[in-house]
Amino acid sequence: MPGLSAAELSFLEGGIAQDLRNDGRGREDFRSFSIQLDVISQASGSARVRLGATDILASIKAELGSPPAEFPHLGRLELAVEISPTAGPEFEGRGGEELSAELGKALERSFAGGANGTGAAVDLAALSVVEGKTCWVLYADVLVLNADGNILDASAIGIKAALSNTRIPKVEVLAGEGDEEGELELNDDPDECARVSTAAVPLIVTLTKVGRHYIADATGDEEAQMSSALSVAVNEKGQLCGVTKRGSAGIDPSVISDMLSVARRIGKRLLAKVDAEISLAESRLESET
Amino acid sequence: MEYVSPEGLRLDGRRPKEVRQLKCELAVLHRADGSAYLEMGNTKVLATVYGPHEVSQRSQSLHDRALVHCEYSMATFSTGERRRRPKGDRRSVELSLVIRQSMEAAILTHLLPRTQIDIYVQVLQADGGTRAACINAATLALADAGVPMRDLVASCAAGYLNGTPLLDLNYVEDSAGGPDLTVALLPKAEKVTLLQMDSKLPLDTFEAVLGLAMDGCKAIAAHMRQALLEHTRKQAVVRGPVRL
Repeated sequence: MPGLSAAELSFLEGGIAQDLRNDGRGREDFRSFSIQLDVISQASGSARVRLGATDILASIKAELGSPPAEFPHLGRLELAVEISPTAGPEFEGRGGEELSAELGKALERSFAGGANGTGAAVDLAALSVVEGKTCWVLYADVLVLNADGNILDASAIGIKAALSNTRIPKVEVLAGEGDEEGELELNDDPDECARVSTAAVPLIVTLTKVGRHYIADATGDEEAQMSSALSVAVNEKGQLCGVTKRGSAGIDPSVISDMLSVARRIGKRLLAKVDAEISLAESRLESET
Repeated sequence: MEYVSPEGLRLDGRRPKEVRQLKCELAVLHRADGSAYLEMGNTKVLATVYGPHEVSQRSQSLHDRALVHCEYSMATFSTGERRRRPKGDRRSVELSLVIRQSMEAAILTHLLPRTQIDIYVQVLQADGGTRAACINAATLALADAGVPMRDLVASCAAGYLNGTPLLDLNYVEDSAGGPDLTVALLPKAEKVTLLQMDSKLPLDTFEAVLGLAMDGCKAIAAHMRQALLEHTRKQAVVRGPVRL
């Protein structure tokens, strides 16, 4: 991001203090966003999300793999974020590595749940195929194409949309003879696929602290001004699924609890909006085919 | 395996001398100076151009022309099997170089001394012919950024399977092990800016395949020019009439 002048900075801060930001939003408002489903045909599910000028592509790929050693009855969910150099020259080569690691970890914290699978965004036990031997591994990959702030919240929206678009082939386990292991047979009929329940998938609301106030869905310019930020994952029931504090400045504990309840309130509204957008995108996809 | 049926149809239903369906969109990303999204069948690539801007490493600055910089990357989900690709592996370094060289042949670099032009190409979905698709997308992105060019570079691949020259191979045809020829062309001057062939081919057949690939390039160039004109017209309408 090109640097802002001192006058621009004070204008931006002044706007936030008066609850009227540069693009006309209030402090708790999200930018308008659009969702497009099934954009990558080689993935099991995919979505493109445009949140203001932030543009991301989320893909879910289901592959057969081995379950975690301590919990043989579970499947796995692996999350990663990659920043494409198309988002700006500062992300070329290894430039995007630090940010992508930070965002990837934050997503993992909010979606992967505990080691035993409780609190995970999807039902990991449903991904098991042969206990202790084979399970589905869902690789959730986010690719950032254009960055204009709040990549993390956009990524969470993308993953939720891509999961709702995901189809996992049905697997039949053929009984093996004697001591031989049973063979797996994949059913490649596209109509005979399992869907992933996305009811428990949380969304992330990042509150960015600028000056004495905090704002939702910061743009790139506003993020350049942030002292610290709190990313809160909220699910349908209003439960907190993960919290990440970002940035270098400290936040007062009383402010944190205040921010958490605000994030919860915004999260509930956002969830309803995202669900509506996903069903809109689904109907658009159906009318196309 | 039979790649061309007795009726003369290929696996995806095309005739031997047909390119896949092309779809171009311009100015797709907000921040870049120029960007383009290109689909060649199921191969989908995105290219962005930043610049001309100040050279970021001053020691690399060229006093008489622009410095062209290119980076190619492939999304983890772009291929059939998910693969984590380390940045700067040999394939992507070579491809970056190839794209850069064919773009440098078209850009009027001498008009922009002491500047840098960044070209970033991102493969979203790979189904054969990524090399050609990347070059085509990069050309469109450069045109969208308004970088002065001699001509639009167009690129297309051709192969030779079952005794038939085939235009614009898809992934299945590409992995059949036959020769694969990628050509990039400056269509107006008829100058080849990129020529690569894997595997072997008799000389007289080579000429036929090369001719086919060049015809493919010209067809693609015509399509891209059309897309560019339409985009420009649309922008002109949005901006309203020009008053002098």
